[in-house]
Amino acid sequence: MAQPATAREQLFALRRQIARIEGRIEIPLEAPPGRPAQACAAAGLEDRQEVGATLLRRGGVAASDLAPLGAPAFDRALGGGVPRLGLTEIHAAAMRDAAATSGFALALVMLMLGDRLANPVLWIATGDFWRETGRPHAPGVAGRYGLVPENLLFAAAPRPVDALWVAEEAAAAGAFAAILVEIGGNPRDLDLTATRRLHRRALLAGQPILLLRAAAQPTPTAAPLRLAVSSAPSTPRRTLSGPLAGSIGPPAFHLAIGKSRTAIPATVTLEWSHGAFQERPPRAAFSGAVAPLPADGTDDAPAFRQIVAFAGARHAAAGVQPPREQYAAGDGARRAG
Amino acid sequence: MQPLIEILEEDPAADRAMLEAIADWCDRYTPLVALDGDDGLFLDITGCAHLFGGEQAMLDDVLARFGQQGFDARGAVASTPGAAWAAARHANGRIVEPGGEAELIAPLPLVALRLEAGVASGLESVGLRVAGALMSAPRAPLARRFGRTVTLRLDQALGLVPEPVSPRLCPPLLSVERRFFDPISLISDIEELTPALARQLQGDLERRGEGARHLELQLFRVDGEVSRIAVLSSQPLRDPRLLGRLFREKLAAVSTSIDPGYGFDLVRLAVLAASPFDATQARLDATEPDKSGDMTLFADRVRARLGVHAIARVRPVASHLPERAATLCAAPAIGVAPSMPDRERPLRLLEQAEAVDVAAAEIPDGPPGRFRWRNVSYQVVGAEGPERIEPEWWRAAGAERPRDYFRVEDDAGRRFWLYREGRYGAPDAAPRWYMQGMFA
Repeated sequence: MAQPATAREQLFALRRQIARIEGRIEIPLEAPPGRPAQACAAAGLEDRQEVGATLLRRGGVAASDLAPLGAPAFDRALGGGVPRLGLTEIHAAAMRDAAATSGFALALVMLMLGDRLANPVLWIATGDFWRETGRPHAPGVAGRYGLVPENLLFAAAPRPVDALWVAEEAAAAGAFAAILVEIGGNPRDLDLTATRRLHRRALLAGQPILLLRAAAQPTPTAAPLRLAVSSAPSTPRRTLSGPLAGSIGPPAFHLAIGKSRTAIPATVTLEWSHGAFQERPPRAAFSGAVAPLPADGTDDAPAFRQIVAFAGARHAAAGVQPPREQYAAGDGARRAG
Repeated sequence: MQPLIEILEEDPAADRAMLEAIADWCDRYTPLVALDGDDGLFLDITGCAHLFGGEQAMLDDVLARFGQQGFDARGAVASTPGAAWAAARHANGRIVEPGGEAELIAPLPLVALRLEAGVASGLESVGLRVAGALMSAPRAPLARRFGRTVTLRLDQALGLVPEPVSPRLCPPLLSVERRFFDPISLISDIEELTPALARQLQGDLERRGEGARHLELQLFRVDGEVSRIAVLSSQPLRDPRLLGRLFREKLAAVSTSIDPGYGFDLVRLAVLAASPFDATQARLDATEPDKSGDMTLFADRVRARLGVHAIARVRPVASHLPERAATLCAAPAIGVAPSMPDRERPLRLLEQAEAVDVAAAEIPDGPPGRFRWRNVSYQVVGAEGPERIEPEWWRAAGAERPRDYFRVEDDAGRRFWLYREGRYGAPDAAPRWYMQGMFA
């Protein structure tokens, strides 16, 4: 029994719409009017045309709204990268791993908006969480991640529900570049409704909200992406005369995808160095080579950032943040020992 | 004996608190309320009486409301505090016309002049039994024999010597109020009322060229209780909408502690502090709207709801000690910040360094091979250090010992910041190990 042509066409259109909603197909998308063109170019789009070019939608999210981590296989599993807006959950197994989640979150924030960090970053936590895991230490944040104290604002809330309220209000105010919310355990207030509100506010404001959860069970939330982060053993510091034996190099993170739009499981070990993530195999398989090995053998290892000699000039002028390339000079590798 | 009398211990502190609560409530008539001894209040109603329909109507209103609250109160209105005091306590309370003070106090006993009992009995022993007798007596011998207080009190009562009444509370710069025939008791009603009151304030603030920095919402309960809700703003504010939002957060935070009881019949919004309001001009060539105002308002709202210390910025301090180097403070940093240390510093710093069990270091001045922190044992696989940080001898009493800091990494890849206080082989005390921070 043949279907009428109009009914078949209607069915096809509906299927296509469902596929578009689910993000199973790549479809051209008109560039939103308000979005600057260089943001599209910075995100590594397939078609780098001039202003007003069509964007490609991958996995239900416009490609310009994804920040690739620089590990090709892992980025593919993520569907292109970590979303630049909306809610992202970052989990740690135990309270003592809170340093790993906050370090990874700060690296992620700098990766997403390091070049155009105009507004401060808001860091919210409950007071007892900070008492247990330690407060963020500004010299450490500035030295390793380049986020100067003028660009950091802290909010200490007495209860988790207050922390969520502050996060929502901050997203509504739209005055922050990114919002970090640290909540330990599984408080009752952090449910599907609360996270959906946060996600919605973050989408409307066009900001990332990173929900850092230590010692929490993965419960259903509205965040499209959940990453499990733990510290990975570091590599030795790299000096001009080779790796320095016995030293502790740049921070390394072990990432596993707990939940994502593509539902592909993947793990990766990333190292945050010189303002970018670099993928590397775990230490056990590490051959001792200085440059990271290609992950899947098809691509060359990413080149190191250019090192510019600006030692000591980093914080000479208070309130003036040098461009990110200059941090390479003062970053870990040169201060060995 | 009267069997129905209930006997209670005297409690002067509670009496005082009650008198102060009553004084608070009297704020509804005038901002200038002063305590008088243990059982009296002075209300400076200069310029206020017409708001209540004249002096007699005001006095009736005050006494009627006190009666409703269960107090037996006497009151009088006079041009001088002394005359009012005498009229209220010894003349059954009435309105003393200006110029009628001498006529009022002449027949009254000497205690009506607020004289001490000893002085009054001394005067009575020489035959001066009423105030009128004092007025006609020669002043110089009186002052010489009984002290200057006698003539001073007399002159104060008659208005010959001014007597200032010092109010309990600082009078507000501006205030607006609304009275209700039917008391309101819902917090939501108060929330809606606040912007309306702030709108009345706006014109006055504009005339003064100022914006409010410290506001107080005073809720007068029918039975005499007064609740005060204060909000602080980090920038001068005038916009009723913004003020309303600040108060909404504060009301949400304190709504459990406010007991509306039978309702509030007077709500007043007072400006306690203001500062010049500079109208900002938007840049003509700005591509993005200025968001700094949004951030200040956000910070003020969070502070109104969660407390003054809820929002903090980093204040770098020129100190080698890590726990002093970056403190969090509510106010934004002013002036040139000292440079950050160029060394590797941890991402998180424990508020208080925690003691760590270290069995033994492999070499006396080296990093520990194993350590135990919060009941968990860690195996150290990599370490950097030491970095010595000396105590600040110019601040402390000298009891502190130098610290040797190590960055250590355990077998799972966690990176910690440990320090050893003191050194091995020192004559005075064994070294102690502490955990101070964590690296990412």
